[in-house]
Amino acid sequence: MGRSAYFSIFIALLVVLHFTLHLAIGWGGAAPDLLTVAALLAARRAPPAWAAGVGLVMGVLQDALSLVAFGASAVALSALCYIGARSRDLFEGESVLFIAVYLFLGKWSRDAVVYVLGQDPRVAPFEALVLAAPLSALYAAAVGSLALTVFRATRVERS
Amino acid sequence: MLEFDGTRKGRRRGALIALAFFIAALALYLLPAPYHDPIREAIRRSVLRPFVVAQSRIDVQRVTRRDLAHVRAQRDSLLAVTSAQAALAEENRQLRAALSLRTRAEDRFVAGQVLRVGLESAAGTFLVDAGSRDGVMVGSPVVAADGLLGVVVGVDPTAAQAIDWSHGEFRVSVMTADGVAYGIAEPRRGRFREEDLLVLAGAPFHSDIARGTLVVTSGRSQLYPRGIPVGTVIGIEEADTGWRKTYLVQPSVRPESVRHVLIGVGAQGGDVSALWQTVPAAPSVDAPAPRGRGPAEPRGGAG
Repeated sequence: MGRSAYFSIFIALLVVLHFTLHLAIGWGGAAPDLLTVAALLAARRAPPAWAAGVGLVMGVLQDALSLVAFGASAVALSALCYIGARSRDLFEGESVLFIAVYLFLGKWSRDAVVYVLGQDPRVAPFEALVLAAPLSALYAAAVGSLALTVFRATRVERS
Repeated sequence: MLEFDGTRKGRRRGALIALAFFIAALALYLLPAPYHDPIREAIRRSVLRPFVVAQSRIDVQRVTRRDLAHVRAQRDSLLAVTSAQAALAEENRQLRAALSLRTRAEDRFVAGQVLRVGLESAAGTFLVDAGSRDGVMVGSPVVAADGLLGVVVGVDPTAAQAIDWSHGEFRVSVMTADGVAYGIAEPRRGRFREEDLLVLAGAPFHSDIARGTLVVTSGRSQLYPRGIPVGTVIGIEEADTGWRKTYLVQPSVRPESVRHVLIGVGAQGGDVSALWQTVPAAPSVDAPAPRGRGPAEPRGGAG
């Protein structure tokens, strides 16, 4: 089994863990957005077209659980994953710090797009985009970086 | 599977495909709301179904665990109540016994509650919540339903301090219930408090007190009324120089188990043997005569 296959399993595990924490166990906001993390990490290794497809699929999965703005996550993730895949042409780095920044910016952007498309009148823009979104992005980036570090530490990734 | 290369043509094709995905996402977003629900429903019933099912099962287990904890808490509470009621039942029994004794004793005793200090330095002593206002005085006997517990050694208007029979300074003049032998009862410490006993000291050498014989206050000291049960002879301890014998006596009352007592008031002395029926009346002519040594009419009066 090649490295890409193991990486695909890693991404799948993140997706399963996301829905387990959010849906099965019901942690809600206490659980990190591992779906976005999985999509952004997958985008860094997939071709741009496939990355957009992965973003679409994961976005639709996420939208299936939201009551408003169906398709907003799909739009956000398909675009961000494509950009993430194309970012390889600009940034070759794979360090943990780089990945953390990448995840932070990606998650923040995703939340911003979803907020704009969702047009949720209950949340003020400042609160959503400047307070909640960065914190959520920071949380996701930390967990995503940790998960990737653990994955890299495995024998499969080193070989 | 589509192959993407790094050529310009490949990049353009990749961008077009990505654009198609993006347009598809945008189309989903722009679809009228009534079309969203079937898609959501389909995804929830297919891909997300395992998680939805898991959530319902976890919820059931969570509720079950919470209910179980609730049931356990209720059971523990019930157990605590039941345990407390066991103590209440014992207290109730003692109270009933004391009240019954009080009724029979009329005005010669007042009821009191035992208050233990709980200090090692206060071993063998206790407080009662009846004092000089109630007629309690130094030297008043303290009795429980089963017999003599101790004697008051200090008194104030509302409370009194007393020593029980296990205290080193406790002494009481006693006799066997049949009046054959007299002596002084005093404490004999065991290895543990539960092993404390009384001894009937100074019994005449010629006396032969059988095991199981009831020992009561003799009334000779004019301090304790005659006829209060003190204990039961369980054996001989020693024979002193051929003149006297000492018998071990199992006390009638264990101090640690007493919560309610009666304290003697008024003129001390007298005869209260009728309260405990410790000195039975002489057999009637219709009744068969007792065989061998048995309880007899007490000799002499109080003190």
